[in-house]
Amino acid sequence: MYQTLLTTRYLTSRVIPLIAVAAVALCVALVIVVVSVMSGFLNMVQSAGRTLMGDVVISYGISGIPHYEELSHRLENDPNIQGASPIIDGWGLLRMPYPDTDAKKSVTVQVWGIEPESFARVTQFDASLQWKTTSSNQLHWLLIDVCTKHSETLFASMDAQNRESCLNLINDASYLLKHQQLDLWNELKSIVGQEIWEMILSHDERLSNSDAVFQQGLTLSRNGRDAIVSGLHVSDGNVRQKDGTYQVVRNDYWWLPRFDGTLTMLPIDARGGIIDPESVIMPFANEFQSGVFIIDESRIFVPIGVTQRLLHLDAAEIVDSDDPTIILGVDPARSTSVLVRGIEGVPAEQLRTIVNGIYDEFRASLPADTLVMPPTRSDPGLTINTWQEQQRSFTGPVEKERELMRTLFSIVYLVVAALILSIFWSIVYEKTKDIGILRSVGASRGGIVWIFLQYSLVIGVAGALLGLLIGWLITKNINLIHTSMGNPPAILAVVSFVIAGCIAVYTVTKSRSGLLLPFVLGSIGFVVFCFIGGIVLYIKHIGGLVIWDASVYYFSVIPNQVDWPSSIFTMVGAVVFCLLGALIPAAKAADTDPVEALRHE
Amino acid sequence: MSDTPLLEGKNLSKTYHLGQSDIHVLRGASLQLFEKQWITILGTSGSGKSTMLHLLGGLDRPDSGGGVVLFRGDDVWSRSNKQINQYRNNDIGFVFQFYHLLPELTVLENTMLPAMVGGSNISTLEARDLASSLLDQLGLQHRRIHRPRELSGGERQRVAIARALMNSPSILFADEPTGNLDEETGNEILDVLSQLHQDGLSIVMVTHNTEIASRGDLIVHLRHGQIESPATMA
Repeated sequence: MYQTLLTTRYLTSRVIPLIAVAAVALCVALVIVVVSVMSGFLNMVQSAGRTLMGDVVISYGISGIPHYEELSHRLENDPNIQGASPIIDGWGLLRMPYPDTDAKKSVTVQVWGIEPESFARVTQFDASLQWKTTSSNQLHWLLIDVCTKHSETLFASMDAQNRESCLNLINDASYLLKHQQLDLWNELKSIVGQEIWEMILSHDERLSNSDAVFQQGLTLSRNGRDAIVSGLHVSDGNVRQKDGTYQVVRNDYWWLPRFDGTLTMLPIDARGGIIDPESVIMPFANEFQSGVFIIDESRIFVPIGVTQRLLHLDAAEIVDSDDPTIILGVDPARSTSVLVRGIEGVPAEQLRTIVNGIYDEFRASLPADTLVMPPTRSDPGLTINTWQEQQRSFTGPVEKERELMRTLFSIVYLVVAALILSIFWSIVYEKTKDIGILRSVGASRGGIVWIFLQYSLVIGVAGALLGLLIGWLITKNINLIHTSMGNPPAILAVVSFVIAGCIAVYTVTKSRSGLLLPFVLGSIGFVVFCFIGGIVLYIKHIGGLVIWDASVYYFSVIPNQVDWPSSIFTMVGAVVFCLLGALIPAAKAADTDPVEALRHE
Repeated sequence: MSDTPLLEGKNLSKTYHLGQSDIHVLRGASLQLFEKQWITILGTSGSGKSTMLHLLGGLDRPDSGGGVVLFRGDDVWSRSNKQINQYRNNDIGFVFQFYHLLPELTVLENTMLPAMVGGSNISTLEARDLASSLLDQLGLQHRRIHRPRELSGGERQRVAIARALMNSPSILFADEPTGNLDEETGNEILDVLSQLHQDGLSIVMVTHNTEIASRGDLIVHLRHGQIESPATMA
């Protein structure tokens, strides 16, 4: 009973317990924020992996799986499987439409040849498409493109003056629209007349149907031609804004679905040698954003038939080597992988077992005299992996990083423990005389220790809860904090300097009495606020700071979900360290001779 | 007075080790205290009188083989830790030269402390009432909710006396109780002790002042760690 009374009094009559609570809270918050961000990061990597490739992936290197349509068909018939989609995974060179000069830029891309319909069933392809509708600027550019390309046929029936003014309007618009908003749509419509206007619209579906750009992305076609859907960061034209949205430079001038690109791939023959490179010019239909930066900057989707042709994986006749006129049979088209998504609730491991069985059935079902057989499951080139295994090379380092962080932060835990131990050592040391008094009136050693255990329990629990609150607030608002840190408001600098000025005046006034403490505290405050103001000005001067760089951290946003299990573990750890930190000095103090303790000053 | 002493220190020895040298503070000092007796231990500074009091009061242990402290015929230092704590809590009360009050507690709470520590047989409410009446007796009724730092030296010492009396001890040990007070206040404190003695409390007091020593029934001189001459005063 006296322990509770004394604990309450010790807690409420001194500043030091507040300092201890603050120290514990800051350490707990620090660990919670770091571990939450790291765990969130890993979860994002993993869930992105699943979104992008389904649950199980069947792959057979460069030569591909023959009769993959049959395999897909069998997979899709299984009640546990939501969808299966063949893909061809290869690398290529994509010649971009920019810059305006002839020396266009080329980028290395990971080309996925897909069947858009089945691919959308396996992944969230539709949700990842960037352009759901066409903006007014984009419409204007499309209008300019159509009019420029078909000017001769379109304006042939117009009189010379009208044609002249039409062409001038288009020419001016193609320059002005890069810098300002125009109402080209209505202006042109009023000049050309209804008939020609409809002709113009008929040249590009996207002009008359705002949904067309999305539909074209979904079907990988643009106005009837096979088309490319590229990752949002493949094109230099898309620039991420500070609020996380994207804008296309020069008022949508470099909007990729306006242009064509040239895709070059290297086919490989049966012996692994390179055949001549194959190229195809294709329009861009849309762009996608998976959220994983390294995918968004390098992957493009094209129809599977295109990649089969480019890589010579399409169906081909097999001819007799002695007499090429004798056709022995047909080498079927191939896909390098088949992606499989299970229905909800089927774990990836279980699904893999099911897929293994279906693959065996598929192979056994082929007639014995089939000319080209798919590989057996024992073939080392064939892999049937869950998405986790497939992503291991990608998620592995992240997991390692998280473990490294955990290890590093274990050292922080030790620092916390040392901090708490030293705080409690000084608290208990200061109370040695009280311990002597309590012993002289008959308090037991255990009773004394219990005072300080209660004391540390309160500090530990209060610090842990406060730390959780701080950690939660920081984690939840981490993107806002990041943005503000990258681009702090100028008012912060003004406020900091005003506070620094007030502190300076106060310090000078107080220091006249010759006291040292106001001078020391005032000087520290002055320097700190000047420093904050200076940093803000510096960041303003260099035009903002990007700390979380998407190109380094894969994702365009910082994970902001609190990792509750780790947080609770951290909080319990902090409380335990508090108890241990108090137990040691308290036990030592309780063992002190009462007479000696009473002499303590 | 009965024949059996209430408290008896037999042949008490205490040595402190200071670096390489040993300081023999007590060298076989013996003392008997009977019921309702007031013994004053008189001695110069460093003569070992406070040490003697600490050994008798269960605060410090004699050297191994350095005598025994018998309370009602029972050896205090051969008891368990729990029993020694009970001895300090229940059987004796201590008043120190420097008061030794807990600064965070109020006067009332400081007084109640032994009852609270004893976890005792009386309820908090009863303890509060008892402490209040003790403070009333000592003229401190208006100081109950004050903190020790707000009190004068004499008041603090009276609070210390009230605390010592809280669990109705058999013996009150007073270690230079007036040593830190002016003469007038010191006399007031001695008057309080005299009153308690008259009411039947046994007291062992330590002082270096002959005049103050004369308040007790018996003065024993402690010199060079040994009791020299018991002398009955009254």
